[in-house]
Amino acid sequence: MKLVTAIIKPFKLDEVKEALRSVGVKGMTTTDVQGFGRQRGHTEVYRGAEYQVDFVPKVKVEVLAHEDQVQQVVDVILKTARTGKIGDGKIFVLPAEQVYRIRTGEAGPDAI
Amino acid sequence: MNANDAPAPAPPQGPAPVVRLVDGLRSLDRAYSRGHHGRWSARRRAELVDEALVRLFRSSDVPDGVALAAVGGYGRAELAPASDIDLLLLHELRDGRVVRELAERLLYPLWDAGFEVGHGVRTVRESMALAAERFDVATALLDARLLDGDAGVFASLRERVWDWVRSPRTGFVDRLEEAASERRRRFGSASRRLEPDVKEGGGGLRDIHTLGWLAPAVAGDGGIRGLESAGFVRTAERESVEAAEEYLVRVRSALHLEAGRKLDVLRQDLQPQLAVELGFADEPGLSAPDGLMRAVFEHARDVEFVLGQAFDRVARGSQASGAAVPGVTGTPAAVIAAFAQAASRGGSVAPVDLDMMEDADLPDVVEWTPAVRDAFLEILRAGDAGVAALEALDRADLLERFLPAWSAVRCRPQRDPYHRFPVDVHLLEALGGVGRLLRGASTDDPVASHAAAAVGDRVDGLLLGALLHDIGKTGHGGHVEAGEEIAARALEAIGPPDDTRDLALFLVGNHLLLSDTATRRDLQDDDLILSVAATVETEERLAALYLLTVADASATGPNAWTPWRATLVRELVAKVQHALERGEMGQEAAARLAERAETIRGLLRGRPLGEIERFLGRMPRGYLLAVPAERAARHFPMVNAPLGAVEVRALHEPGPRPGTYALAVVARDRPGLLSRIAGSLALSGLSILSAQVFTTEDGVAVDLFEVEGAFHGDVDEERWRRFRATLRKAVEGRLSLEYRVAEKRAYYPAPPSGITTTVTLDNRGSDFFTIIEVAAPDRIGLLFDVTRTLTDLQLDVHIAKVATYGERVIDAFYVRDVVGRKIEDAEHEREVVAALTARLAD
Repeated sequence: MKLVTAIIKPFKLDEVKEALRSVGVKGMTTTDVQGFGRQRGHTEVYRGAEYQVDFVPKVKVEVLAHEDQVQQVVDVILKTARTGKIGDGKIFVLPAEQVYRIRTGEAGPDAI
Repeated sequence: MNANDAPAPAPPQGPAPVVRLVDGLRSLDRAYSRGHHGRWSARRRAELVDEALVRLFRSSDVPDGVALAAVGGYGRAELAPASDIDLLLLHELRDGRVVRELAERLLYPLWDAGFEVGHGVRTVRESMALAAERFDVATALLDARLLDGDAGVFASLRERVWDWVRSPRTGFVDRLEEAASERRRRFGSASRRLEPDVKEGGGGLRDIHTLGWLAPAVAGDGGIRGLESAGFVRTAERESVEAAEEYLVRVRSALHLEAGRKLDVLRQDLQPQLAVELGFADEPGLSAPDGLMRAVFEHARDVEFVLGQAFDRVARGSQASGAAVPGVTGTPAAVIAAFAQAASRGGSVAPVDLDMMEDADLPDVVEWTPAVRDAFLEILRAGDAGVAALEALDRADLLERFLPAWSAVRCRPQRDPYHRFPVDVHLLEALGGVGRLLRGASTDDPVASHAAAAVGDRVDGLLLGALLHDIGKTGHGGHVEAGEEIAARALEAIGPPDDTRDLALFLVGNHLLLSDTATRRDLQDDDLILSVAATVETEERLAALYLLTVADASATGPNAWTPWRATLVRELVAKVQHALERGEMGQEAAARLAERAETIRGLLRGRPLGEIERFLGRMPRGYLLAVPAERAARHFPMVNAPLGAVEVRALHEPGPRPGTYALAVVARDRPGLLSRIAGSLALSGLSILSAQVFTTEDGVAVDLFEVEGAFHGDVDEERWRRFRATLRKAVEGRLSLEYRVAEKRAYYPAPPSGITTTVTLDNRGSDFFTIIEVAAPDRIGLLFDVTRTLTDLQLDVHIAKVATYGERVIDAFYVRDVVGRKIEDAEHEREVVAALTARLAD
């Protein structure tokens, strides 16, 4: 099992969610996050008030996937979250040692 | 009191009184449905326990000087199904050990049967010492009730307790009030929490008990009726508290029975079941669980209000039926003026005045006169004191008479992941939030203070908008559309000046615009920004909308206005502000845009409606604003029909000035398209006077040029035909424009001129693009040279403006890089300048 973690643009969340659902992903966790990558921060100006934005708002999507499904999940996110512009985000794939469903105590692939 | 918790009740065991008690309690629980165990049932439960305890006590060997007393809730003879049974064994023996043993003998059978019984064994002196130390013990003793044993001992305790409570040195009333606010801090208010604690929460049962404890301190015996006789509580108030108590006891008892244990928090998962048990049914616009919760909120609100009033009256030493205050008479204008006056002083309306007003016979629906309106607006402008005034108006059942729409949102629970408060509380919180932002209370929001200044004299519209923004949450349909309709009616009745009304209505209709757009749409899309700017129209409305957005989010709960959301919303606001400042969009432009769209619809009549709307939706706002409707209508067929990969469509027509032509070129957008068109024009002997580049969302380029013949004015059809052929070849790559343009230029060497070439970059003129300004001596293919250099640098040209002043040409290009960034690092900037300068020098 793998944990697929994607950092994406906030407005892409709905699209990514729908696309993942359509390939059979049953669950995901999303978090509002802030950070910087190559996009870095920037300065905003409103009516003469200048202020620095150090961290850019993004959404973190986490999906637990079975080995067979990992590539598909990654591909779907790559495709739907892409705008081709700066700040499209990143995807990390991490090994997940074990998974438990708290309600039933099921473990392993059954618990995904 | 947990004997009846077991899932399958075991046959009772133990001494006869306990067996009888368990039986009695079980049949009491079964005698009514779970939702109908009110105060009578609570008292009956206490009586059953009394009986058992007295029998057990009498069957023990009790020495003289010992009294058995019920304290706390049991002392008040109010036992919910899972309440604790608290006892005091009061004695005057030297050695308490005998009594402790007695207590254990007395209580073992009850403990064995599973009852939660707490007990203390103390002398009167010990009891008083403990009461002085622990306030909850003191209040529990106030409720003490003799069950059996030495009445003299009990009487002396009671006398001591009452003396202590009434002694000024005790500060009992202050401590009571402190304890109530401490509870509100810890448990929140039962009148606004979606999962209220009906016992400890503000407005809950503990507040009702507090009224009972207040009586001995300031009035005498008799609990709340004592307060009423002494004039600290009005008859109507006493009645509302009693009704609240009956309802809350029922809810709490049902909770205990449902959960099978002492549970006082009305959890969301239990609300549907409890609603059924308490007899609520789904009604249009109000589900049964919402009905249950609305009733909890309403009762808790009454209790909070009466408790506050009672403390206030006690503190002032004034009684409810006080003397009339001069100037306050029973007319709507006078009533609301009194609230306005108090609010603008930053205070609250004195209970005396409130009593007067409640007595005043106001019509059910008040007519808005200028005086009423002025006073109402004054209340709105008074910030938190104004909110307090509106709350007081609400508690006195007056607010709905001024604003009939209020009744639909009053105490209406909201069930979504964000909202924590009922709708009306949320509206008042938002109003208060806007007031604080207008006063500059937010120091960590760099945008809010400037927005507050920008709202200027449009404050009333903003405040009305904040008060009404969720007025459409009536359980019917989308709350925004419903809200606009309801707000329109309310504002018509209130009758503010037109611009105030319009701003308020705009805010009601668009209060989600910034939040929704910022979190769900691509803020790098300049067309989106223009579209928001077209809706917002003015800087004042943008500022007002921002302040409402912040206050609205902050009023949903403590965590809704996160730095995450704030950053996105502020980015949107800054960009829309810039679009409005620069005149790229605004009230006038928005009107023009709407008018253009309408004209285009008219001109295209007869075409399929869907195609027309698709065209209007696809074309960027900038295009619709820049291009006259007639011309846009002629572009429709070029853009509408599907385009092949290397297909180019060109259309020319007479230009705005004599001898000029308007040319439109439509093709799939690709790097270098503009330079190929510019090169083809140069080869065909056409000079470019201006150029504008538009791209639809689905990647179709619509490039517009104003051109003239380079050598002689008239451009005949043959030349246009040649141009189209050249362009097609250039796009297909069958023609080397670089070679051809150089060749052509060789025939026409530019005359030497004193004009030097300058290239400057500007990043402040646009949120989305770097503006490159090029000033150079005119020559054949100048635009071609510049644009192909930009293509070489992988810069995407969005707008090109060309202006020719005699021999000097000044071009401006709005560009961004391949990933959508402006050119912001110095090295990149230098490269662009150097490349363009070098290209124009050869």
